[in-house]
Amino acid sequence: MKEKRTSIVIEVVSRVMIPFIQLFALYVIIHGSGGPGGGFQGGVIFGASFILYVVVYHWEGGRKRLPEGANTIFSSLGLYIYAGVGLLAILFSVGAAQYLNYGFIPFTSHFVENRALGMECVEIGIGITVMAVAASIFFDLAAEGGEKGDKEGRH
Amino acid sequence: MKSSSTMAVIVTSLLAVVLIYVAEDIPGFGDPEAPAIKSVNLFSLPSDGVEPLLNQGSIPEPLVLRIHERGLPAPSRVEKISGADGQWNLFVPKEEMHYPKEEKYYLVRKVGSDLVISRYAFVVRWIEKGQEETGVPNMVTYGLADYRGYDTLGETSVIFTAGVSVILLLRRRGRL
Repeated sequence: MKEKRTSIVIEVVSRVMIPFIQLFALYVIIHGSGGPGGGFQGGVIFGASFILYVVVYHWEGGRKRLPEGANTIFSSLGLYIYAGVGLLAILFSVGAAQYLNYGFIPFTSHFVENRALGMECVEIGIGITVMAVAASIFFDLAAEGGEKGDKEGRH
Repeated sequence: MKSSSTMAVIVTSLLAVVLIYVAEDIPGFGDPEAPAIKSVNLFSLPSDGVEPLLNQGSIPEPLVLRIHERGLPAPSRVEKISGADGQWNLFVPKEEMHYPKEEKYYLVRKVGSDLVISRYAFVVRWIEKGQEETGVPNMVTYGLADYRGYDTLGETSVIFTAGVSVILLLRRRGRL
């Protein structure tokens, strides 16, 4: 990142815009059940906010916001949430083994509402995985050099 | 060389003919009454003697026999579709927990002097019962996350696999 800065206008504008992009991504994930949207779309928007961050603040700046370890953990965490909700459904539907039938998980006392809430949990899981994977692929492709250019540092 | 290109032309035109033939069978876009979208035809019966029984709300014997021959579930109740002349719904009992105890399964229509029996496509239940069964108003979302939950779990793991593959190929620094 030595003395390499993008234009100050781009930096300031994106610093203002990125939180709103992320808020919009959360909105899209949460409102997947009521309108257009859902886990895949919201996750991609969230990942795109990190990509914008990397474009403006370079690789190191982006990695400061989303460290490598956290990125790897997040990309599997979403899948764990999804499969975990399915396993919870098995545990609570005693004897029937209804994998991914969210109605049996006792969020509330009402079967249909449980299904809606289980769907929200699953959408959040999808969103986390898609966000982390989209960001991770971009970080890996944007890292210049790889084995050779490690010493000179990348941008 | 010449003969192989002639073969190629023949195969290509045959494929084109098959494609056109298949495309002819695709139901009209946006037509809710199209057979593939609403119901699949099973068989037809002569209507004399059967129709008054259906109107009285009891299931005629020949119909039950034909359904049994096809190995399909036996209907338990008849209901006349209000507003449409000569159309009946047949209901089938179900044993699942937390769900309605019967499902709309067969459609009987009067065509000429015959009764055509057809089975409702799954899409009909998806559209009509989805919000009631899942509590979510968005048809796409309850399809994606509830009715086809397994499918979406697979899709998510495909994305995860793509991410892990890129990590393994490009991030070679001895740590993950």
